[in-house]
Amino acid sequence: MQADPVVIIGALSYFVVIMAIGWYSRKAALNASDYYVAGRKVGPVVNGSALASTYFSPASFLGLPAFIFLLGYPFWWALVGIVAGMPVASLLTAAPLRKYAPTSFTDYYADRYETKWMRLVAGIPTIIGGFAYVTLSIVGTALFMLAILKFNFTVSVIISAIIVFLYIYWGGMVSTTFSTAFQGLMMTLASVVGALYILSHYGGFSGLAEATMSVSPNFFNLPYVNEKPSSALMGMWTGIVGFYFTWHYGFSAMPYTVVRFFTAQDIKSARRSVFWAVFFGGLTYIGLIIIGTGARVLIEQLHPLMQAQGVTDAVSLLKHMKNLYGVGAASVNDYSMIAAMEALKSPFLMAIICAGGLAIAMSTAAGWTMVLNVLLGRDLLGKVFGSKWPEEKPVQATRVMTTVVLVLCTLISFNPPALVLDISGAAFIVILCSVGPPLILGIWWEKANTTGAMVNIIVMTVLSTFSWMYANAALGSAHWFFLSQKGGIVTPHQFYWVFVGFIFFILICLVSKPNSPEVIKKYSLDLRPDA
Amino acid sequence: MFNRMPKVFWGAMALIYGWFLLFFIIEITVKGFPLTKFLGMPACFLYNAIIGVWILNLIVAVLLNRSEEKREERTAALASTKGVE
Repeated sequence: MQADPVVIIGALSYFVVIMAIGWYSRKAALNASDYYVAGRKVGPVVNGSALASTYFSPASFLGLPAFIFLLGYPFWWALVGIVAGMPVASLLTAAPLRKYAPTSFTDYYADRYETKWMRLVAGIPTIIGGFAYVTLSIVGTALFMLAILKFNFTVSVIISAIIVFLYIYWGGMVSTTFSTAFQGLMMTLASVVGALYILSHYGGFSGLAEATMSVSPNFFNLPYVNEKPSSALMGMWTGIVGFYFTWHYGFSAMPYTVVRFFTAQDIKSARRSVFWAVFFGGLTYIGLIIIGTGARVLIEQLHPLMQAQGVTDAVSLLKHMKNLYGVGAASVNDYSMIAAMEALKSPFLMAIICAGGLAIAMSTAAGWTMVLNVLLGRDLLGKVFGSKWPEEKPVQATRVMTTVVLVLCTLISFNPPALVLDISGAAFIVILCSVGPPLILGIWWEKANTTGAMVNIIVMTVLSTFSWMYANAALGSAHWFFLSQKGGIVTPHQFYWVFVGFIFFILICLVSKPNSPEVIKKYSLDLRPDA
Repeated sequence: MFNRMPKVFWGAMALIYGWFLLFFIIEITVKGFPLTKFLGMPACFLYNAIIGVWILNLIVAVLLNRSEEKREERTAALASTKGVE
């Protein structure tokens, strides 16, 4: 397969627009407030599109169709769960946190729990999740570079890391907010156009379902009513419920989305941003469901590499591509979405898909790198360890941090530890069960206190990280309950830790000393409606 | 806990989780339910992909925004009336 000039021109056009937005908005990113939170002057439509684009990563664009490809129809519910978590956030955290108006994710923990060391403690799971996400974003960008240029995967990773570095180096949150809003439009367009191509090819929804059944007869099977479920991981109700809840509360409590609530003009704008994020995000996800559903049949019926020696089905085709382009570890399955689009043999479609894919990968890399920049520079070096450098030279400090973060993540990207959606799931569970309860209940529960927050973050970070890694290594998948066995109890990404984390936090807080009444009033009661 | 959380929030949560639970339970009790034809297409595309992923969440987002904006207007009007008095 050769690189197609139309696809290359499409990708170049995307880069030209992104550079133009960066150039146009560069003067707005000269002071610390603009650099970190875009001067709090971003409107709801722009902020909503940027929110959707930042929240949805290559884990969505490549990972979700790949999981539908692997696990079948029941996995559609995971997408319902992800988008359903978005409106929930508008009252749960978006409006209260915009009212509080901090600069960084850890500001709330330090203020609400009355110690600067909360920045360090809350920073640990955030750093774990942040590195995971920047890594998967580089992997995603590399897979799209591979699709565009047909270079070896290692070369694609290096090119991708350089592109992401230059993009973030360009400017802070101002330039990334406006270019990320454009990227939100691009990802929605790409997903919807891809889905329309597939529906048009198979003559609508019924045609697509019939074609899918022709190559995967169990695709629409469910546990308990069908003899064989669509996948072993969908053989119990916990599989479906677990995937639904793995990412569900992420929009309320994940640092890279929470910081975008800070950039909104006011509380009303923060809430309306969520509506627009649902608008763009929901449309994108409908497209991804259709692409994931059609992936196997498209690859097996139409992909040019099906003619290659030894290729008998979609899985063997992906293995063939893994050898052909030297794709690292499990990430070749993430290529199934791109392979499905390649099968339709339309350079125009591939140009849009690659531009949308680059958009979603770069926006997430930028969002997370900004979170890590601010956390490592301003919060830890500056506020915890007393260095004046991040405050006096914020742009220089964040650029140095960008370099450190991207070099480390690029090294991991050469051989990714798992599928991009698995990396994403691990990051979500670790962060949501550890820093999620102190954030959400810190706003909504007067008894939430420092001891509870400290103990919960440390204990839940250790337990969730260990159980995920143990299940992944010892049982072959992070989706089996870590104390069970392969083929035993299905617990996607050890999702139960999110609920255990909330219960554990409440119990610790009930038996420990509450925070001062002034702090509870200022950072809990005053942030709620009617205050 | 969750004191002063607007009631509409709980209604929204009930709608979101109710939708999921209702269709999930039907799916694991009625064989072949996702492929049942409705409006000329397999029903799952409608209740899961189109309504579950998009329409329902747009409705919930509008519901939450509208009710909060109305409540804030009422609070502002009350505050200005008290100021005049």
